[in-house]
Amino acid sequence: MAIAEQYDEIARCNRCGFCQVACPVFRATGRETGVARGRIAMLRALVEKRAEWNRELENSLFACLLCGACTANCFPALPTSDLILEARTEYLERVGRNPLLRLLFTRLLPHPERVRLAARAAGLGKRSGATRVAKALKLLRCFGRDLERSEEIVDRFPARAFRDTVKPGSYPGSGESLRIAYFVGCGTDVMCPAAGAASLQLLQLVARRVTVLDNCCCGLPPRAYGERDAAWKLAAKNIALLSSEPFDLIVTDCSSCASFLKKYPALVPPGDPLAPAAAAVAAKVRDLLEVVVPPSAPSLQADEHLIVTYHDPCHAVRGQGLSAQPRNLLRALKNVEYRELPEADWCCGGAGSYALSHYDVSRKILERKMDNLARTGAGVLATSCPACILQLSYGVRLRQLPVRVCHVSELIASRTQAPGLPRAT
Amino acid sequence: MIDPVLLQQLRRIVGPDHVLAGHVGAEVYSYDASLAQAAPGVVVFPGDTAETAAVVRALSAAGVPCTPRGFGTNLSGGSVALQHGVVICLTRLNRILHMDIPGRILRVQCGVTNLEVQNALAPLGYFFAPDPASQKAATLGGNIGENSGGPHCLKYGVTVNHILGLEVVLPDGEVHSFGGEGFDPPGYDLRGLFVGSEGTLGIATEAVLRIMPRAEAVITMLAVYDDIADAARSVTAIISQGIVPATLEMMDTVIIGAVEDSIHCGYPRDAAAVLIIEVEGLAAGLGAQAARIQALCMAQGCRSIREASDSAERNQLWAGRRGAFGAIARIAPSYLVADCTVPRTRLPEALLEVARLCQHHGFKSGNVFHAGDGNLHPLLLFDARDKAQLARVHEAAMDITAACVRLGGTITGEHGVGMEKIGAMRLVFSEHDLDFQRAVRKTFDPRETFNPGKMFPPPVPSAATPVATPAAPPPAPAGEWLPADAQEACECVRAAARAGLALLPAGSGCLGGFGNHPDRPEIRLRSDQLCGVIDVDPANQVAVFGSGTPWAAAQARLLEHRQWIPIRPPLSGACTLGGMVALGACGPERMYHGAPRDRMLGLKFVSGLGREIVAGGKVVKNVAGYDMTRLLTGSAGTLGFLTELNFRTASVPEVCRALRVRGDLAACARAAAAVLHSTLEPVFVTAVSRGPEPGWELRVGFEGFAETVEVQIKKGQALIRESGLPLPETFDYPLLEGAHAADLAAFCSSAFAICANLPAGAVAGFPGDAPTPPGSSCRIADFACGRVSLGLPALSGPDWQGICARTSQAGGSAVVTQAPEAFKQQFDVFGPPRPEWRLLHDLKDGLDPGHVFAPGRLPGRKG
Repeated sequence: MAIAEQYDEIARCNRCGFCQVACPVFRATGRETGVARGRIAMLRALVEKRAEWNRELENSLFACLLCGACTANCFPALPTSDLILEARTEYLERVGRNPLLRLLFTRLLPHPERVRLAARAAGLGKRSGATRVAKALKLLRCFGRDLERSEEIVDRFPARAFRDTVKPGSYPGSGESLRIAYFVGCGTDVMCPAAGAASLQLLQLVARRVTVLDNCCCGLPPRAYGERDAAWKLAAKNIALLSSEPFDLIVTDCSSCASFLKKYPALVPPGDPLAPAAAAVAAKVRDLLEVVVPPSAPSLQADEHLIVTYHDPCHAVRGQGLSAQPRNLLRALKNVEYRELPEADWCCGGAGSYALSHYDVSRKILERKMDNLARTGAGVLATSCPACILQLSYGVRLRQLPVRVCHVSELIASRTQAPGLPRAT
Repeated sequence: MIDPVLLQQLRRIVGPDHVLAGHVGAEVYSYDASLAQAAPGVVVFPGDTAETAAVVRALSAAGVPCTPRGFGTNLSGGSVALQHGVVICLTRLNRILHMDIPGRILRVQCGVTNLEVQNALAPLGYFFAPDPASQKAATLGGNIGENSGGPHCLKYGVTVNHILGLEVVLPDGEVHSFGGEGFDPPGYDLRGLFVGSEGTLGIATEAVLRIMPRAEAVITMLAVYDDIADAARSVTAIISQGIVPATLEMMDTVIIGAVEDSIHCGYPRDAAAVLIIEVEGLAAGLGAQAARIQALCMAQGCRSIREASDSAERNQLWAGRRGAFGAIARIAPSYLVADCTVPRTRLPEALLEVARLCQHHGFKSGNVFHAGDGNLHPLLLFDARDKAQLARVHEAAMDITAACVRLGGTITGEHGVGMEKIGAMRLVFSEHDLDFQRAVRKTFDPRETFNPGKMFPPPVPSAATPVATPAAPPPAPAGEWLPADAQEACECVRAAARAGLALLPAGSGCLGGFGNHPDRPEIRLRSDQLCGVIDVDPANQVAVFGSGTPWAAAQARLLEHRQWIPIRPPLSGACTLGGMVALGACGPERMYHGAPRDRMLGLKFVSGLGREIVAGGKVVKNVAGYDMTRLLTGSAGTLGFLTELNFRTASVPEVCRALRVRGDLAACARAAAAVLHSTLEPVFVTAVSRGPEPGWELRVGFEGFAETVEVQIKKGQALIRESGLPLPETFDYPLLEGAHAADLAAFCSSAFAICANLPAGAVAGFPGDAPTPPGSSCRIADFACGRVSLGLPALSGPDWQGICARTSQAGGSAVVTQAPEAFKQQFDVFGPPRPEWRLLHDLKDGLDPGHVFAPGRLPGRKG
């Protein structure tokens, strides 16, 4: 859809400027070019033909985190992220696309085993020190010139991906009747296998049967970049897989995947026969935060006292409206003191590949997050998105804060007794 | 487009990353929150005051115009750069620099938002009173530029009442400090002039804010009406009963419907209007106050009124008010917010007019506004993409503005003139008034490169008619002229100007010795015949008097309506209102009731060109044009001859009761600090030392409803006891004289009277160390206002220099308000010169070119 078709929506921005308060990019840069009002003004200028589609627009369109905080602070609730996505698609068509990224989206992401292989190569490179990740994974250079510096964001790659250890397939659970499909996000798979193991363990407590899916990328990264078609190809592949068995629920521990899976129906091209299947799939999707119940069994005696805080992933709090659930889960843990993180729902600057493509801005946003984190005095920072975990871990490392960053599921699983079940390792 | 050499220079000053040139930059800095639009040449983001000054110097040298900007939430086009000028954007100046809770000040950079200030203060139990509805996204720089209000300014006043100091980059690139941490710096009220100048006089980069302890308790009420006129009448009923709620906000049925559609906060959809009324203060007596309000509303035909039972319900009620613009934004793509103020009693008529005019022009509209201030904000809904609609909506807004002016109001209450109200300026100002303001502007910015195209309509050549020469010099006793009216006063001034004579505006003459030794002998231009009531409007709490009206006579007149002007200047029994205003004179009640600068709504005066000039008006919120009222208030007769004075009056308190106890100064200071840090609302907190008696007497006064005063007296006693002093005794003091009349009289009758203006925290140390010559008649340490008054029998040069050094070291200043002429001939009574005093003389030169008024009396004597 061309951005011109969104003119009525764009015209609803009355330029009050309240989006500036909530926009992490604006608060880091102080620039109108980096906030919803400015981006909408650019779109309006394009529609009214005062501006042309050219490379000067790139920063305006691509320096957005898509965190959605502007919409939450917008009187007419303009869906700026959606408008920006439309504009990115049109930009790629009119101004040109990045061939390397295209390759990444169409050749790598549809194949989870290739993603794991690439990650392993990168991990080997990192560990040996012989080659830098960027060199091992030349593809990533397409994210931009900041990559050389941003390489340090990732401390080390796990030796084995989650699905190298826990093969896709069906696992028994101790729950009642639910049949749950566990959708493994790329981030969980290759970067946070421990979170995957913990999530599986928790799902086994609530389900009779948990199927670890051999799914591919949910499609969010190409969609965020504006490559709508590439995103749909990934989605179609997953919809086929998710429709192949009568699952009661489709659960993922990556809030970004969950949020995007729920939006599959909006991605279906007009007239595509997969529309009903997409709707059926989306209706079953749950964020792990929605299905996990606080541990009922008393936690282990040895549980240490922890001060825990929580960072809201954008795709959880605004993408899915999940704010109370994770907090209730954490508050329910024995011997845990929950402290609210100031500006908990501010984007951490990770935003998928944003930290790679816009290192400086991302770093400033991260610093604000770390200032707030340090204020809480927490020893554990829990969240529910692997991209956030990576970014927050990087921040903690830079500041040398005595804080462990982990997935909510890891914290709960470590404090949950699950006797008699095959514990995922 | 901007010259490449200049662009290069700007990049060198702020760094290449902090200059935004190109089409995208021009597009996204072409607007603010108003309907105005114009593309700037380039946008510069300085990182501190020095960089800002360097940028301004470079632009000044190149003759390129510029426009200051913060978050660009201006509602009148003020932050849109015309003439392809440079936008100087202060978003990088976003730090809170210094917090001094005991001194009750906060120093901030001007790119900090209002809400960030509030959030920093809230955990400490303090707040900054101005709270514009856009506070989330409005920077302090913008608040200062526009003199912003907000719901709570009904009780606490607007931005100008809460700015103590400013660091300002002037259009020539010089950096100056206006004011500081003290309440009353010497000379013209430059910070008062700067606040509300809409970026035309310079850029404020830092500000010192006055902060206050949060109220102990708050009660929020929702009053529901079947007729909007009843709601409007309730507003007047409440105010005229002497109850000043913290907020008094109105929403009409259109807004109620829109709000309920979007957020459901419990407003009845079938109501014609609702009022959100909030009272805050001491818990004691607050319930009774709320009950009185409820009774008053019910008597005006209110359908129902309820109190929020908890903070959740309170937040819900406020969510509706705060979400009102948003709710309306969902109905139409664009809206225009008008911003006119009318006297509160005229609200019913004003609302009818608004409705009629909106209907006439074919716009759907809603009203959500600060009813307590009479500040209307009709929202006109339309689609800005339709150019015909856009033109018509401006017409409609202009008609509404004109209607409000006809009702005695003004063209803008808090959003500023900017570009949108330029045409309306002539509704309230004559060409002479405008010329006077233009002359102020020329003093600061002779080439008009700062925010050009804002505020002022282009001059009308034909209007600048040559002034008619007076027929004959007015009859006068030697050395004194007694004009019969303002017209004759104009003629006196013109005659003096022609003859090269100097005039000293004078009332009763009792405060006449102020300022430096005059350059030339002065003829006293007396205001005796400009005496009496011009307008008393008790329901609006507004009173207008001739400047020659004795203070006592004015108060007596107001007491008929159980109102008064709550300022007790020294020698109040003898002085005129004009003298009080000209000198900005007030007693230690200043902290609670405000100084003349805080109580003046407007005034008229005769300028050095012999023209009667109008400043301000009769409404409590007014940001039309420069704040000439504040420039003239305290100008000590050096800029003009005051003729009429418009005051915001107050209801007479039920009780005036105070505590007193003797102790040493340090102990008094400790007790004072405890009282000032508490949730009590004292009217004054002083320590007085008289004559030979050893020690000091601490005095803490309370005024208001009996129940509230009684509780405060008890709590005050306890606080003072806890801080180590004996149990203070209680005494009632007379309303008009106050509790310091005798001390102030003694102070004024001293051979030498010195007034030191200090940061509040420095008061205790000051007189403690000061040399106290035997026979020292009176010393007053005003802990709340940061003022120390010393009445001395003698003052040597070295002693005076020592006092100047110590005040300036403490971040304050000292003025000899009274001294024999021999002393004045030798010393500058304002102490060593300060750089910003250059501006006082520039203003004097620009506004009184013939130096007719009190020549030579200004701080920083020339030569």
